[in-house]
Amino acid sequence: MKASEVMDPHPSTLKPTDTIECAASHIMDNRYRNLPVVDDNFCYVGMFGVNCLLKQVIPKQVFMDKGLKNVGFIHESFDDLFQRFAEVKDQPISICMSHDIKPVSPDTPLTETLLQLYETRSSIPVVEPGSCKLLGMISYWDVGRKIMQFKDEC
Amino acid sequence: MHEFAKADMLFGMSPLWFSATLFVVTYVVIVTERLNRAIISMMAAALMIISGVLTQQQAVQGVDFNTIGLLTGMMIIVGVTRDSGVFQYLAIASAKLVKADPWGILVMLTLVTALLSALLDNVTTVLLVAPITLLITDTLKLNAYPYLFAEIFASNIGGTSTLIGDPPNIMIGSATGLGYNDFLFNLAPIAVLVLVVTMVPIYLIWGRQLKAEPHLRNKVMLYREKDAIKDWVLLKKSLFVLTLVMVGFIVGHDYGLQPATVAMFGAALLLLLNSFPYSQEKQTEMVAKTLADVEWITIFFFIGLFILVYGVESTGLLEMLAHQVLALTEGDKNVTAIAILFVSAVASTVVDNIPFVATMIPLIKNMALSMGGQQELLPLWWSLALGSCLGGNGSLVGASANLIVAGFAERSGQPIRFLPFMLIAFPLMMLSIIISAFYVNFRYF
Repeated sequence: MKASEVMDPHPSTLKPTDTIECAASHIMDNRYRNLPVVDDNFCYVGMFGVNCLLKQVIPKQVFMDKGLKNVGFIHESFDDLFQRFAEVKDQPISICMSHDIKPVSPDTPLTETLLQLYETRSSIPVVEPGSCKLLGMISYWDVGRKIMQFKDEC
Repeated sequence: MHEFAKADMLFGMSPLWFSATLFVVTYVVIVTERLNRAIISMMAAALMIISGVLTQQQAVQGVDFNTIGLLTGMMIIVGVTRDSGVFQYLAIASAKLVKADPWGILVMLTLVTALLSALLDNVTTVLLVAPITLLITDTLKLNAYPYLFAEIFASNIGGTSTLIGDPPNIMIGSATGLGYNDFLFNLAPIAVLVLVVTMVPIYLIWGRQLKAEPHLRNKVMLYREKDAIKDWVLLKKSLFVLTLVMVGFIVGHDYGLQPATVAMFGAALLLLLNSFPYSQEKQTEMVAKTLADVEWITIFFFIGLFILVYGVESTGLLEMLAHQVLALTEGDKNVTAIAILFVSAVASTVVDNIPFVATMIPLIKNMALSMGGQQELLPLWWSLALGSCLGGNGSLVGASANLIVAGFAERSGQPIRFLPFMLIAFPLMMLSIIISAFYVNFRYF
């Protein structure tokens, strides 16, 4: 089996120009972890998800190279966290898109796809070979559902 | 001074010309920062041996293992101690002590930086203080620049005051046999004065305008400094060993204990106390992590540099230069001391003060005969220490700590630019050198 056989060919997507606030609402309303970001030509440019949102509400000194290692002394309320979020909510999501998740091609063997799914701990994009066009997304749930269709009744 | 055998040079080259050329080329490459400084100095050291200026045995003799041991020992102690969170505790507690008043925080963080730089080393100090400074200024919605600027100055001024505060002092102490107390009694008073005077222009330029909303100050007041301590047991062990090491520095000199012995003993003791309760595997893992945190680039840079300078010294070049300097100052000790102070300050502004001091040490030693003995050189050593340590404040590249703070500023989106920094820093540094010149003049002549 290949990646193309387990992918969702109609994934929900975001645009690099979407604001962090809009993307956050979309992600929270639908309980997504990560969504692919595509440009006007449906070209895959990165991923945006809950990790980026979390990063916006944690003091940025934590994420600096050689930054704060311990933040146990900071005690903040939800209002404080929202204030920090409010500072970036109108920024485009491109400012904290993840480029770490490497896409697979539709012909990638299933086992290799699963290994990548395991290693990246995120849904992975399927991209047309030789171009950047997003063909679909593979999530734990897509794969899990296909495997579990063979199970006995509980 | 050292006795050197005649060099057996490759291809019959002149040892003086070869070593002088190698020395200049090495300095130029270090200044350009195109290559890692450890690679440059190790390459230069190897060429000193391959060319025949030094034998391998002589090269090993040229390495000041007291400096190497002291640096490595302190790096290990600080590496273990910082995991306890004690430095963050100090920074937060000091900010709360002044009720999170913006100017008060600047003063307190400056004092903490100066104090830690005197007891530890500049680089470690700013690595620990700069992130917490950025957090506090971010919370108070203040420009971090004045705080980081003051911390750069405090780290170099604080480092000036003790034997272990700044690498030039470690090198001078090791080469001359001057102890911890000598540095403390001769340099700490002037360091305190320079720090106080430096705060005046900082207040006039930035301090008066620093204001923060009460609700933002309240956020800082809600920080719980005790929660910054991650490991109370480690904290107690670290403070015990640090105290022991400081006492060792202060009293050890009278018993013939070199600072390297004290620092290495402290490092070994802390590693023992920290690893003792764990399995052998875990101990190996912990020791490996601590040793990996040692700044080996700095250590190998020192080793290579010592060999390079020893090679140059072996050719008699530094002795010739010493005579030239004395001819210029007409052998006047006062004029020589002031000249060393200003030249080392300006030189340390533009080049790394470590190679500069490594070169100046044998050069000054060579003046002993003309000056009337080693004891007469004391004002010159204090001038070198003051000039090279305080000179680091003159520009962003003047000291490693400056560049580390600049790196943090860049990452926080409030970059410290070279020229705007120098426009204020260089005159302030020169002010500190003028004060030092008066101090040297009145205290030693």
